[in-house]
Amino acid sequence: MDGNGRWAAQRSLPRTAGHQAAEAAVIDVIEAAHTAGVEWLSLYAFSTENWRRPAAEIDVLLRLVRRAIRKHALSLHARGVRCRFLGVADPRIPPPLARDIADLMALTRDNRRMTLTVAFDHGGRRDIVEAARSLIRDGVPPEQVTEESFARHLPHPDMPEVDLVIRTSGEQRISNFMLWQVAYAEWVFPEVLWPDFRAEHFWECLDVYRRRDRRFGGVQVPTATGKGA
Amino acid sequence: MSNVAPADIDDGIASAASADPLGPGSMLYDLSHQVRWGLVATRAIVLEAAHPQIDAALITNSTFVAHPWRRLRNTVLSTQRMVNPDERVRRREAARLNRLHARITGTDAEGRPFNAADPEVRAWVVATMFESTVTMCRLSGESLDGPALDRLYSEFLALLALMEPDGGKLPPTLREFWPYYEFMIEERLENTETVHIILDRLFAQVPAPPLLRDRPAAWAAGRALAGPVATAITVASLPEPLRARLGLPELPGARTLIHTAYLSTRLATRLLPEAWTRLDTVMTMLDPKYAPAPDGDPLAGLRRGAAKAGALFRLLTPSPMTPPADESRLRSASRFFSEVLDQTGNGYLDWPDVAAMAREIATRLDLDAQDEDRLFTAFADWWRELQKELDTDGDGRISGQEYAAATAAMTSSALIRVAEVLFDVTDADGDQTIDAREYRALFRTAFDHDAGDADERLTRAEFVRRFLNFMAGRGHSDAYEGLFAQS
Repeated sequence: MDGNGRWAAQRSLPRTAGHQAAEAAVIDVIEAAHTAGVEWLSLYAFSTENWRRPAAEIDVLLRLVRRAIRKHALSLHARGVRCRFLGVADPRIPPPLARDIADLMALTRDNRRMTLTVAFDHGGRRDIVEAARSLIRDGVPPEQVTEESFARHLPHPDMPEVDLVIRTSGEQRISNFMLWQVAYAEWVFPEVLWPDFRAEHFWECLDVYRRRDRRFGGVQVPTATGKGA
Repeated sequence: MSNVAPADIDDGIASAASADPLGPGSMLYDLSHQVRWGLVATRAIVLEAAHPQIDAALITNSTFVAHPWRRLRNTVLSTQRMVNPDERVRRREAARLNRLHARITGTDAEGRPFNAADPEVRAWVVATMFESTVTMCRLSGESLDGPALDRLYSEFLALLALMEPDGGKLPPTLREFWPYYEFMIEERLENTETVHIILDRLFAQVPAPPLLRDRPAAWAAGRALAGPVATAITVASLPEPLRARLGLPELPGARTLIHTAYLSTRLATRLLPEAWTRLDTVMTMLDPKYAPAPDGDPLAGLRRGAAKAGALFRLLTPSPMTPPADESRLRSASRFFSEVLDQTGNGYLDWPDVAAMAREIATRLDLDAQDEDRLFTAFADWWRELQKELDTDGDGRISGQEYAAATAAMTSSALIRVAEVLFDVTDADGDQTIDAREYRALFRTAFDHDAGDADERLTRAEFVRRFLNFMAGRGHSDAYEGLFAQS
């Protein structure tokens, strides 16, 4: 998640230590969003481009993800969190991790309190291309392709549009994240590095969002999307 | 003969004096869809195997030794097709069984001839099923009265008559049946090898339920306890003279055990929701590769619950990040030989092994005579080619060593022909692709998305490629493992 490497470098630690420290931030944010009544929370854990990182770092990252899933599965389920993954298509994902991801989704599929979408091996363009393929496969005539009908072919079509994207560590790019869904999203760019990101930072971001004058989307119960990576 | 069934079986059919002895409304229809029928089928198979001709047929032709659960499942499936409401389905199944039995003839190692289509043999098979049904009802505390017994017997006679044009060789009335049955037990049955194989192996190989999938060690431990108990129950339910001849002692407490077991299946049948105690439900729950069709699964809730429990169990139990690569992906030639090719489990690849593959496919796809012939011919051509290429010592069969020495020859033109015929018979609607429904009919599982089946369709080329990869031992395939390798 954004700033893990810098966080580690500031402490003269290996990059992987930054990824390790990120877990606490993830749990804190999920908890904060849950308490705030956020119904849809998405985390950008790993992009399709992240596969270009050194193999050793990827290996550690995958292990961390798997450990986190196993460690927190029960408490997420107990809190009524429905966990979903976005992406997860690459054959390089080790089968035990894929199995755990499938198990976590199966376990929590009927929960409704909050939906946590973990974008893992995700690429916004890829999702759009896949949706186009799906439309063509279904033989939808061109005049029937609308924004609404197109969106129904995206993964997790029940997911509402993103209201707020939080990108940590001062980075100000989209980086191929849910390109279709962020069309009208508000963006905030806190300077804090992801491993230091805590509930109070999340509250601040929600506050910023509440003060903004939005033309699209409701403001009663905000849905939020945290952007790490 | 009056048509009165004991109220316990099903109140709804007590007055159903239908002219149709099989099909819905018959006692056989109801019983054969209950989970208790599994006990009947198991016990009947043991009694069948004690018949010398059936023993010989099983030893030389059956995949029982290697795949006992497949046989049990096919027995159950076959019975259910024979009582199908649609008469055409029944006739079709009877014709298929006739073709299947006609292929099982020969002479066993001791020179005894056997013939699965022998009317006396088939009468005995139906007799064991009838008697096992009666015993099941008695042991679960609901003895059938005279009229119900008469009715049940007439239903079994009708079942046999489906296969035998002259009605078959069972005694025409129930009064004559019991002396026949006692004569068979006393005079004809023997202490055969297959009886012991079945008792030793059937329960030792029960597939894991969803909860314990991927936890083979935990399942094996539970099965090590439950297996002998299930065997003891089956043994204790056998007729006393036969049990003595088989040298199987009556274990202390076995009587109590057997009553408890039968009684609890009966109570389960009465108290649990009907869908849960249907035999197919239990069978599909045990089938590791089974995935329900997306539409109209009455058990979606139960399955979902089981899937969740399984998911939680797996997430909470330790599991290594890297599975032993050689175990899961690459199988050595010898493992492929013993798990896939040697269907009868005798250590050699012979025609019965190859025929067993064709038979399993024909059963699953419910092929008609013409398609079945094409399939068997293709497999037979392949077998002749294998024999010519691989049987270096000329004993007519291929040993594991002979196979390992020449795996390259596995991708032959005859095998490609097998793949093409398999594609043709699987492609039921003839549109030159295998869609999700056709795929499910063959493999009993949904498309494997991991293998890139995003399109939910398989072309001929892709289908043939996967089959050849699997048969050459090159590519792992869950689907084909489920078809050929697993019990």
